[in-house]
Amino acid sequence: MHAIQQQYWAVRDYLSPVLKESKFKEHGRITPEEFVAAGDFLAYKFPVWSWEKGDASKARDYLPADKQYLVTRGVPCLRRATALAYTDADEDAERLLSFGDLSATGNEADEWVETHAGRAASTLDSAANAGNIDEIPDVDESSADDVADQVGRMHIQGGVGSLGEIPDMDEIPDMEEEGLEAGDDEATAAPKAAAPSSGVIEASEVEVAKGNLLQVRTYDVMITYDKYYQTPRIWLIGYDENRTPLMPAQIFQDVSADHAFKTVTIEAFPHSTSLQAASVHPCKHASVMKKVIERMNQGVLEEQRKAFGAGAVSPSTGKDKQKKWLFRRTSGPGKDAPALPAGEDDVEGMRVDFYLVVFLKFIASIVPTIEVDSTTAF
Amino acid sequence: MPIVQFTPFSSLVQPAFWHALTDLKIDVLRLSDEAIPVHGSYSAGRSVKDRESGAEIALGCNLSVGGESFSKEDKAPAHSVSATGVFKNYNTIEEFKAADKTALFAQVSDEIWKSITVDRSTAQLSRFLLITFADLKKYKYYYWFAFPAFAAKPAWEIQGDWKGASDEFSDTFLSAIESAQLASPRAFFLVRPKAGSDEPELAPVEEYDTFFANVNPVERTIAFLDPSAAPGNPGWPLRNLLTYLAALHPATSHRVLCWRDAERPAGAPFKSRFGVVSQGAGTGEAASTEKPAAVGWEKNVQGKLGPRVADLAPMMDPTRLADQAV
Repeated sequence: MHAIQQQYWAVRDYLSPVLKESKFKEHGRITPEEFVAAGDFLAYKFPVWSWEKGDASKARDYLPADKQYLVTRGVPCLRRATALAYTDADEDAERLLSFGDLSATGNEADEWVETHAGRAASTLDSAANAGNIDEIPDVDESSADDVADQVGRMHIQGGVGSLGEIPDMDEIPDMEEEGLEAGDDEATAAPKAAAPSSGVIEASEVEVAKGNLLQVRTYDVMITYDKYYQTPRIWLIGYDENRTPLMPAQIFQDVSADHAFKTVTIEAFPHSTSLQAASVHPCKHASVMKKVIERMNQGVLEEQRKAFGAGAVSPSTGKDKQKKWLFRRTSGPGKDAPALPAGEDDVEGMRVDFYLVVFLKFIASIVPTIEVDSTTAF
Repeated sequence: MPIVQFTPFSSLVQPAFWHALTDLKIDVLRLSDEAIPVHGSYSAGRSVKDRESGAEIALGCNLSVGGESFSKEDKAPAHSVSATGVFKNYNTIEEFKAADKTALFAQVSDEIWKSITVDRSTAQLSRFLLITFADLKKYKYYYWFAFPAFAAKPAWEIQGDWKGASDEFSDTFLSAIESAQLASPRAFFLVRPKAGSDEPELAPVEEYDTFFANVNPVERTIAFLDPSAAPGNPGWPLRNLLTYLAALHPATSHRVLCWRDAERPAGAPFKSRFGVVSQGAGTGEAASTEKPAAVGWEKNVQGKLGPRVADLAPMMDPTRLADQAV
């Protein structure tokens, strides 16, 4: 059934026309050209992202051959999202983050709200707990009640036994070779060495007090362009702390509960002949992006008009401070001088270059513990 | 003086590598178990700040292989350097178990030694060995990496301790190295200050004699792209680099720069480390002719010398995939 569905998606993708007209402000969708522009900006601003060619036989002709999709590897994920149930009480813990690398805009107003600040992960987060997924609801039942219902019914089982998917390492007995290397090598750093004085802890030995065990997973994150939904689409391949690929159930631990059961699934990665990866389904991306962009655009239009009226950028107060950094520099440093509004033409609102930066912030809400949003991580 | 302890390489196998191996096994290798070339890559060690505890957490010292590892063109991903290796796939688990690992390991370390003493090249210093058995029907892959490194006798010692690179070099000096490394990352390189200014000059390690000809020993610095992020432990590649230097350019001590700044945001402090290493007493005799003993088999998840297994059934088996599909 799933295979047929994937075939259907492939055909639908093939038949759907390439979006030509720029409409990202009206409905949150972007054209392939805008995807490339936004990707270029992202890769320029945050060099952890780079373009990939992918499998040549799967190349999309509406994208440049060497810019088929974006990838960043080894994105750290320190905790499980299942440990981050967000409550009203946590709202007090929000704090403003400043962007060190963007502070060249000249003031300390470059801030973004960080939620979950200073929270300790709850004890739900334990090594053996993989969210055991009972039942996957139909996609159309997307009402809020249903979400609550699902979360209510979701039960997290303890014990490795309930997983049944952990590879059985004992299947290769007698492979241990003691005689391979004579004795301990004194110049090899022992993986369990005592925590060094300078405060950097090795990932394998992180153990925080009160049983709050950190399991540092890493993710390879890819962003492709989805022709049917005309939005970017995000793909995840995860590794555990021993660099073993994660099972789907383990990946769902890193997805917030609202999304794990409906929007995140394992699909064939479009730029490879055989690879499967977890993906956030893009059917709602456009509408969410539209809302986010609308809100931001409002702020930036005001900002630009004000700046135009004042003739210079004056330090402003209040909420729009947080957003300003996104729009002030309409082109990256080094390309042009910071584009100060010089005439009515420049009152254009948010530029499409920022689409992927905003998109990543939105994705970060779906996978809260994976640090995809490198704008705050670095 | 404390002995220098190196962070060993950890293998990171992207699922795409197993897919590539499956195709290669079915279409090209078939029943052949000949050794074929493979290449992987590593990048500067990274650490991430835990937002809850505020601690810096060092991520692994990884050498990764991916979908393009079998391809002819050997191009490392952005900000990474490539390492070549030997790949050998066995047809049965019995053959995999019975493989003469000591001989395979000796062969690879011989090749590294030859590249040092005969070719005087640094290109093969991070050469590795990978043996696999692919159980294609069950989507299970047994594999074992070895990263041969020569054990120095006597061991290398660090004078004082490893310290931040900023303590030794000025920020403008380091920034210049950073932009050179960002433009085209090098695995190993030499650094000297440009005469009468605060600008660095870089050169490949192969040009040691000419590049350092008239340079004061206290201004000669040997640098390498360091995949380790642990502050007191340089990464595995330094081991063979020091062997290379001991064999070809013996000196009482070497100033070593562990380059770790690949993704530094503007204004953030440098994470690179600096230290002066020297070999303990008793250096000299038969230094450059005999091949030293080498170590470097990767330990498995249990921390023992043994193979690892990647079970990709949940991500490749069509029936398992259908189970979780919406």
